[in-house]
Order: sequence, then structure tokens, then C-alpha cells
Amino acid sequence: MQEASDDELVAAVARGDGQACAVLMQRHLGRIVALARRMMGNQADAEEVAQEVFLRVWTNAEKWEPGRAQFGTWLHRVAANLCLDRLRRQRNTVDIDEMPDLVSGDPAPDQRLEADELAARVEAALQQLPERQRAAIALSHYQGLSNIETAEILEVSVEAVESLLSRGRRQLRTLLATEKDGLLRSRETSA
Amino acid sequence: MNREISLERFAAIVDAYGASPMRWPADERGAAEALLAFSADARALLDEARMLDGVLAAAPVEVPSDALVARLMAARPRPATPVPAGKPRSIFRELISAIWPYGSPAIPAGALAASIMLGIALGSVSEIAVLNGSQIAAASGESEADERLIALALADIDWPEEWIQ
Repeated sequence: MQEASDDELVAAVARGDGQACAVLMQRHLGRIVALARRMMGNQADAEEVAQEVFLRVWTNAEKWEPGRAQFGTWLHRVAANLCLDRLRRQRNTVDIDEMPDLVSGDPAPDQRLEADELAARVEAALQQLPERQRAAIALSHYQGLSNIETAEILEVSVEAVESLLSRGRRQLRTLLATEKDGLLRSRETSA
Repeated sequence: MNREISLERFAAIVDAYGASPMRWPADERGAAEALLAFSADARALLDEARMLDGVLAAAPVEVPSDALVARLMAARPRPATPVPAGKPRSIFRELISAIWPYGSPAIPAGALAASIMLGIALGSVSEIAVLNGSQIAAASGESEADERLIALALADIDWPEEWIQ
């Protein structure tokens, strides 16, 4: 079962094979949760999206046509669209006071807290990007999808993906300038 | 085959995709790596992009919770219940199945029997009786007004055609 292709696993899922469900989740659930986490900015929403994605797999497994599309790419497309839908719905309800603060906060006393602080700041910076820039960075940079796959998922041209990525990274560079300088300093110190 | 790319194009690539060649467009990766070999400017651009990549790598990563996995396993599709291979069904069962194809024929049959029994039981214990018009009038005091009302109710009336249609 571990060696089975995604298409074979989906066919087994449609027959009600529990082991196939487990292997398919083992193979893809972590990546889908990670994508949704980058898009939504928190684990609870990310898991809700991932749950919806896999429930669609369970429901539509019988209709899956082997060889028509890469299963992993299809999962990313469903997840990205669900995230964009949710973000659109949330757009008018977000309280600006609840946005994470990027510039305040004293340096944490120990390394663990520093790492957590940095992680929170990076996540907060990602959340400040426009949704489609964030989606492009999540798919290309974090998920490692090719520019062609990212373009297919976002239904734009490869050139448009490149533009989304450039603008997103430029904004992140500005938002995370302090963190970047800190990283540079720590490298110089350790060198 | 690697075609050459300009420093300007290299800058655009690292600006969009970062420092890792794995993320660069496949059709330009070779040319971009070739440029790195002899261009100090390209290497400086790469270092700059690597710095941002390093910060972005700090973004939090959490594995899916056990609760999520359990919910999904609970909701997974189940195998279809196989039809037990037994002795062939009798003609009576085939007939019942043709009349009631939705499952066990005991369900509608039981419901019908229960409703008949309930009707008989209610009829035998209640004081409700079928009376004709004159008996009703007698029971209600034989007033003329009552008789007229009952006669009116029981009379054959030629209803206007538009009421019937």
C-alpha cells in the first residue's frame, strides 16, 4: 500500500479501503495543513481547511480520473481556493487591533522564545500580504511547486505568478527588515 | 541546452523565486547557475535573496493534530455492504419485494396491521356511532331548527357548476 501511486490510493479510497485513506493522509495531509497555515495564519483555520479538502477527496474519490491531473496539485488547488474564499469572507470582519504587531516586543530572553518570536513575526508579515501574493509565495516558496503549477492553481499566467512573487517578496523584505538585519548580525557574530 | 541570461533577468529570477535554484524556472535554471559561476554581481544578488529566505524559513510549522486525523478517518468512505449469498427467495418474497422495493416488507406490513388493530380497538371502546339524520335530531332535542340544519346538511344539493370545476 505504501508503494501505491496516488491514483491507485484514490481508487482504493472509493472502495472504502481504510488503509488507503491512512496512507493518502500520511502522504499529503501535512503539506495541505502547511499550505493552509501560510494562507490563513493560524493552525485552527488551517486544519479546518485541510479537513474540508480531504472530505472532498472522500466524497469525490469515485469520480477521480487517473492520469488526468496530478493528485497532489489538485489537492493544492482545492486548498488554495478554499483559503482564498475564507479570506475573502473574513476580509471585512478582521479587527485591525487584533493584527499581530511587527515592530513592538522586546527581545525574548532565551533562544526558544526568540525562535517563537521570529516565527510569529514572519507569520504576521505573511498575513499582511495581499491574498494572491500570499498564495503565490505559499505555493511556490513554501510548498515548492513550480511556477507552471502555481500558475495553473491560481489560474493566471507564469508571468503573473512571477510578478506576484516579486511584489510579495519585496514587501516581506520591508516588513522583515529588522529580522533580516538580526539574522545577518548573528551570522557575522558566529563567523 | 542552456541559453544565456542577462544579469537583469537573473536579478528578476532571484527577486521572485529566492536563492534556491530548485525554485527557479526549470527552463532558465541552468543558464542562471552558469551566470553565477562568473558574475560577482549575480552572487551578491543571490546572497541578498538568501538572507530573506533564511528569515522566511522561520515561519511556524505544525504537524496535523491527532484529532484532525481521527476526524478524517471517522468520516472516510466505508466498503459497500455485500449482499449475502443465501438460498433463492420465495415467490412470496419476490412479490412483496415488487410491491415494497425499499427494504424489509415487514415494515409496511407491520404498520398496516398496527393501524387496523388500533382502528378496531378505538371503534369498540368509543361512543361514536353512525346515526342517521332523524336519530341525530332526536339526540339533540328534536328542535325544528336542528332538524332544518340537519336536513340542509344531508340534502342533495345541485352545486353550482363553477364550484365543482
